[in-house]
Amino acid sequence: MNEQIRKEIERLEESAIKLRALGQENPSILKNAEIILTFVYILKFITPVTGKAEN
Amino acid sequence: MKYWNPFLETLPRKELNKIELGYFRNILSYAKAHTLLYREKLKEITPDDIKTLDDIKKIPFTDKEELRRYQENPPYPYGGILGVDIEKITTFRQTSGTTGKPVYVPESYESWQWRIEAWCHILYMAGFRPRHRIFLPFGYNVYVAFWEAHYASEKLGCELIPGGALDTKGRIHKVIETRANGMMNTPTYGLHIAEEARKMGIEPASLGIERMLCAGEPMPSATRLKLEEIYRCDVYDHIGGTEPCAWAGMCEAKDGMHIIEPFFLVEILDRETLQREVKEGEIGVAVVTPLGRRSFPLIRFNTKDLVIKGEGSCPCGRTSGKIREVVGRTDDLRKVRGVLFSPKTVEEVIRKGFQEIEEFEIIVERRGLMDVISLRAEVNSQLPIGSIEQTKGRLLESLKIATNLSFNVIMEPPGSLPRYMLKAKRFRDMREGDKNE
Repeated sequence: MNEQIRKEIERLEESAIKLRALGQENPSILKNAEIILTFVYILKFITPVTGKAEN
Repeated sequence: MKYWNPFLETLPRKELNKIELGYFRNILSYAKAHTLLYREKLKEITPDDIKTLDDIKKIPFTDKEELRRYQENPPYPYGGILGVDIEKITTFRQTSGTTGKPVYVPESYESWQWRIEAWCHILYMAGFRPRHRIFLPFGYNVYVAFWEAHYASEKLGCELIPGGALDTKGRIHKVIETRANGMMNTPTYGLHIAEEARKMGIEPASLGIERMLCAGEPMPSATRLKLEEIYRCDVYDHIGGTEPCAWAGMCEAKDGMHIIEPFFLVEILDRETLQREVKEGEIGVAVVTPLGRRSFPLIRFNTKDLVIKGEGSCPCGRTSGKIREVVGRTDDLRKVRGVLFSPKTVEEVIRKGFQEIEEFEIIVERRGLMDVISLRAEVNSQLPIGSIEQTKGRLLESLKIATNLSFNVIMEPPGSLPRYMLKAKRFRDMREGDKNE
């Protein structure tokens, strides 16, 4: 279950990074992409891969 | 749903340890790379030195004084404790400054959201859900506690009513007007609201508060039970601080507090050497490492909070470590006539057995070579004058049994002692510069 969630979080991260790159000339897109990345950080923190701890 | 995060809250101890070890190494490495404080302080230590949770004892504690000192460096006002580029800071908070210069706390959007996520555990454990309309009877100012409560309530989906710019009567009216069914306050202010409501002819239980979460002061169980009785509601406690965040909260079993793992690594160490993890039921000092906050990394922060270590299991099914009770602050412990004294004991005695005492104040003075400890006890208006001496006698006896000290008890008339909105200041040690710790 957690592994599946982790995969989705990683996909979200990839998209947000792309969005951030695309939004370099648009402060609103840029900021919202950064906010998604903030929550990606938290999502990763609360879904540690058990067996090998990571952040 | 019983848990805010069913996965984290029911992880086996072994898994939690493994995760926390990994997180600790990460934050250690981050703190060394991004803050002047830890670059200098932990020059000789690398994450590779930390192979087990036991190894973290190799790392020196961080204390408030050190934070103040490193804040003298640029960039203003955070200095060498800042863990991100200053442009990433979105929120300024600070400590109250009651023990010296305030510590300025830098929160980035990320760190603030991390902190709020941890706080959601506290609210959810205390049974708050989206159906709750929560009244917060404070102006939050630059202090962190009620801002956290505010944002965490919002994240949880509760409806939040900020009750800052009102006096106590105005707040009581607002609770009635909005039909709020939850409240967060200091225990002292919860008692004060009840007292004011009664003066207005309103029975506190009729306000409709179902759940109350207390913060800001150590709350003896007798005070918690008194609040439950007055408001006919469930009252919960939690513990935290501006620097380390809120790190433990009470579940619906109301038997001690759960450490919010793996957000925080909490060590409860013996008071004398600060080296040995205490056993269940023993008093120790809480040393806290927030494991994911990067704008203000803290490694092994000595909170100076004295707590009793709790049992390893709980009927609620959560697997996190527990503390049974908050005893007070090491700063509040005093030796009076050679006896170690905590003001919280007096509160416990009063709230448990003396409904007729509305407010109190403890004063320690030195007269000649002798320490004198006095209790000013304010009686409520219902107590017949003829019963005051009897109450005084019972007080003297109960205090002697609970503290092993003979008090000088002074009975005061109704309304004579100050009331507090945030943290109460019921203890004054007049022996200048003499903390006797």
